[in-house]
Amino acid sequence: MVTIARHLCLVPTLVLICLPGAALGAGEEIYQVEQGFKLIPAIIMMATLALYVGVGFLSKVSDTSGYWVAGQGIGKYGNGAAIASDWMSAASFMGVAGLLYLKGWFGLGYIIGWTGGYVLLLVLLAAQLRRFGKFTIPEFLGDRYDSHAVRLIAASVTVIIAITYSTAQFKGIGLVCGWIFGMSYTASVFFAAGVVCAYMLISGMSGVTRNQQIQYVILISAFLIPLWILIRKAGGTGILPQLEYGRILAGLMEGHVAAEAGGRLTGEDLIEASKVYLPWGTGGTIYHFIALVFTLMVGTAGLPHIMIRFYTVKNEDVARRSVLWGLFFIGLLYWSSPVYAAMGKFWNPLGGAQVADVIILSAPERAGLGQAFLGYLASGALAAGISTVAGLLLAGASAVAHDFYATVLRPESNDRQRLFVGRLFTAILCGIVIVTALYPPALIAQIVAMAFAIAGNTIFPACVLAVWYSKANKYGALAGMTFGLTMTLIAMAGWMLRIPAFGDTGILPATSSALIVCPLAFLINIIVSNLTHEKVTAESAMKMDDILRRLHNIPDEVEGSGSR
Amino acid sequence: MPAPRRVEVNFFRPSTRNMRREAGVAWTILAIWAALSFGIPLLIWLAGLTDPGKLGRSFMTDTIFLGFPLHYWLIAQGCTIGYVLLCKLYCSLWDRRVKPYSTVSGKSPRW
Repeated sequence: MVTIARHLCLVPTLVLICLPGAALGAGEEIYQVEQGFKLIPAIIMMATLALYVGVGFLSKVSDTSGYWVAGQGIGKYGNGAAIASDWMSAASFMGVAGLLYLKGWFGLGYIIGWTGGYVLLLVLLAAQLRRFGKFTIPEFLGDRYDSHAVRLIAASVTVIIAITYSTAQFKGIGLVCGWIFGMSYTASVFFAAGVVCAYMLISGMSGVTRNQQIQYVILISAFLIPLWILIRKAGGTGILPQLEYGRILAGLMEGHVAAEAGGRLTGEDLIEASKVYLPWGTGGTIYHFIALVFTLMVGTAGLPHIMIRFYTVKNEDVARRSVLWGLFFIGLLYWSSPVYAAMGKFWNPLGGAQVADVIILSAPERAGLGQAFLGYLASGALAAGISTVAGLLLAGASAVAHDFYATVLRPESNDRQRLFVGRLFTAILCGIVIVTALYPPALIAQIVAMAFAIAGNTIFPACVLAVWYSKANKYGALAGMTFGLTMTLIAMAGWMLRIPAFGDTGILPATSSALIVCPLAFLINIIVSNLTHEKVTAESAMKMDDILRRLHNIPDEVEGSGSR
Repeated sequence: MPAPRRVEVNFFRPSTRNMRREAGVAWTILAIWAALSFGIPLLIWLAGLTDPGKLGRSFMTDTIFLGFPLHYWLIAQGCTIGYVLLCKLYCSLWDRRVKPYSTVSGKSPRW
């Protein structure tokens, strides 16, 4: 039987926790995954890992700008692919299809939330962040608000998200390594962390970005290829699975399933099967749908390791176009995940979490693609995990090394010292993540699920007002960020204590709290900024104005000409 | 010495011509973004209010579009394809409405 089921913990599994255990239905046998060492897949996986380290070595850097932002020389397709592979974690690679399998229509909220957020990011922040053009998000907030306190809050949030999020990645990575090498979880954590650390320390952002481009190609091709074979097995023509599965899905709502699963559902089974694809059939309401979508959107637009991508590009033109391409590349995955989910339903209409968790990993076997492809799919999943970890660790390390060490603690340090400290902290952070992955503190899963709420309630409002509201000052930013963070933590505590109001169907669901908290955080920032307008010193105002001029391409004030 | 005049930036009241163009483009995109992200789910909700089973069954779920039930296609593909096209629209609106009036590097933008 499937023993690995519950290792895929991230957003999806958090949803799964509240679902009853799997009821075994017909067709269960094609949703199994075998453990143990597999020679050919193992060779393929080793080859791709060797490739990553090799690429890292070839793009080694010698200054801080190269280390943190790849010398700002990355083009639109390259940055788009890097955005996409930064984004696509081991969990979205393996978990989203399972989530859709269980949550049906309601689960689509994750898909539009995670894609729509990029539109917000593009329209409100991308170009301006590039014009600012330095290294990190805490640096942007700290400079714009001229406050070390704001800088440190932003840096702490960045580090917390980086550590917890990468820790969660290791669950997926451990699953894959166990599946291919028969490795224990402990061994796979050291193994994967070793690979990431090796190429990151040598090459910094430029190697990470170059590797992310390769990793994107591997992960997306591994993800897409089985679809064409599976759709034929399900009776399609195999031309464009992403369009053809509509027929299967509409059939499911009428009770048509695979011959192996009985061919036709009736009575209770039929009601169960069609309910999943009706809007509120899985227990959600319109409020929860919109709250979820909104939270994921502002969260996506506020995740520091995603925003940092706009510093790495050549100019703001490339920044804009790379969002377009990044979103398209992400779309390829999200247009395809529902196909896996629908085909899962087709063969096993009433399966539970156990089927959902291995939908992707069992796909090559169901499609009869053979051992070699198994290795390729595993490499794809591993690539998804590793690329996300690399991006996160770099964002986290930069928050400590650049924003804390080089800006607050030792502003007089030279570039070589800073580069050394950067590498040092990358290694330290990697070490911390290894420890947290081996001995996961109780809170990890909760914080990961909260990452979008945290980012959307603290970083996003502060960034948008920093760019678009010149009156916003450090007092407002501090008040707004503190409020956002506190409310998120309260909701999280309430959720863990199982207070109904903060539960999945409560009035302020902890993981979808931004619909209420985020607008309030904006409002508090604006009100407090207006109240404290007089308290801002002339020197501080001048510094903030300099940043604003840069953000909006406003020319310097010319003596005696007035402002307009 | 009098304090120098502060830079004024407000998304709702852009102060320079360049900013006005940028904010105008942003508003257009945000309006369509909101219609896609919240308008469509609300429409599906409204249409489904009449379902006695409270599952949201309506003409949206019964209509077949490209083989899909309409409510499913709109969210699974309609919205996401819409977002990609919105990004494209943003880039071309920017090239048409903003770029001709400012330089990319920000060295000498015109007012």
